[in-house]
Amino acid sequence: MSEELSQRLTVYLRGKLAAPDLSVHDLSRIPGGASRETYRLRASFTKDGAAIERKLILRRDPPASLIETERSVEFRAYQAFHALGFPVPEPIALETESAALERPFFIMSEIEDAQAVSVLAPDPYGAHRESVGRAFWSILGRIAAADPKELGLADFDGAKAVEACWSHEVARWEKVIEEDELEPQPIARAALRWLKRHPPPPAQKIALVHGDYRSGNFLIDGQGRIRAILDWEMAHLGDPLEDLGWALDPLWAHHDVSRPGGMLPRADAIAVWEKASGLKADPKALLWWEIFASLKGCAIWISAAREYASGSNPDPVNAFSGWYCLAFHNMILADRLGSRA
Amino acid sequence: MKPEADQILNVSADQLMAAAMGGIDDAYGKGTAAIHALLMKFVAREYERGAEIRAAENRDMRAAFAELAPLVRDESLRTALEAAAARREDSLSISALNAANVEQRRLLISLHAHLEEVGAREGEQRIWKLLRTLAARRAVSLF
Repeated sequence: MSEELSQRLTVYLRGKLAAPDLSVHDLSRIPGGASRETYRLRASFTKDGAAIERKLILRRDPPASLIETERSVEFRAYQAFHALGFPVPEPIALETESAALERPFFIMSEIEDAQAVSVLAPDPYGAHRESVGRAFWSILGRIAAADPKELGLADFDGAKAVEACWSHEVARWEKVIEEDELEPQPIARAALRWLKRHPPPPAQKIALVHGDYRSGNFLIDGQGRIRAILDWEMAHLGDPLEDLGWALDPLWAHHDVSRPGGMLPRADAIAVWEKASGLKADPKALLWWEIFASLKGCAIWISAAREYASGSNPDPVNAFSGWYCLAFHNMILADRLGSRA
Repeated sequence: MKPEADQILNVSADQLMAAAMGGIDDAYGKGTAAIHALLMKFVAREYERGAEIRAAENRDMRAAFAELAPLVRDESLRTALEAAAARREDSLSISALNAANVEQRRLLISLHAHLEEVGAREGEQRIWKLLRTLAARRAVSLF
């Protein structure tokens, strides 16, 4: 399989990079979530007489995906934010057709000497947690501050009016639950009703929402510098508080809920975000988006469980999500909403 | 006495994890083997507690149905709740417990939504207490 994929990649990249002597080597699959197959590869070729080696990452659609997402969304987000100097990989090529590698894919540069932490690891940032935290919440604030029109992403899916952000997202994830639940979900259903009965205030602006901004979805180097924000496949237009609520979710807290994402204390994290974004994190609105985040988590894990149970994507990450993550978010929602009943 | 299923799964998971850490070169294979090992640990625990969790959950829901049915104004829902409350498990197989659980969860959702609609605050609080119990019972520990 790897040999065939390597040959296909060679043919593709020779044309794409206008390098007829290009060869692909060291192709290997690496962990990268269940929504895309992720591979590391090296492409060697000569240009103007000079030997060049490019270290690349291939992200290819699996036979079935955890959440149906357009790979062009992630690629375009990389393009837009790379151009602005944000820490993201350089996007190289996007193919939405299946001819070249059997399934759609995109290729980007590899970020060397950096890695993502496991969301299960306790205290993964160690001595760097304060500096990583300031960078993490600041970058999120800068994403919130960016103008989708200036980014060239104003046509992304999502709400077009500030009043509609919350209802657009609730409808989106309610549909996922409707379509994918393997068994009735009384806590998720109660959360959906609560979210509809207690809508948040209109968004302060329509922002580009990353959609999965959290600990574990960025690369850091040995000095604790954030080198790349990853996994933009759920990017959409919406309320910037949506990303903040998701990043604050206890599932990503590395077993210390006082430090969201395992980094800064909560109040400091919010203060950094407010300063970088120029926006306010109104506590009542933020509470709504935090409860929404846990509901959205439930929907994703319900979808993962279906993928695994149906056999369409037997990646063990899907079984783990349907088992551990869903139970976790059910507990969070039951605690948060139960205490308000 | 032969080894129980949970012991076999735990030992196999430990061996798989050791192999993943030492004997597999590629990062994807290593990560995947580690998740498989973790899943085997989860399943080993579920072997011991799975039937108990489901039986207790079904029992707790039936108790709530019996307690809250008098608050229900919708006759067909009340009748369904009373019928469910009177039921008992006729098998402790996981599939049979799951089938009853699915029916009762569906009824629980209808009951909760109805109590919200009619403003039965105490009934709502009773349901949330039940939901917290169910969620805590189903929680999965990593350690």
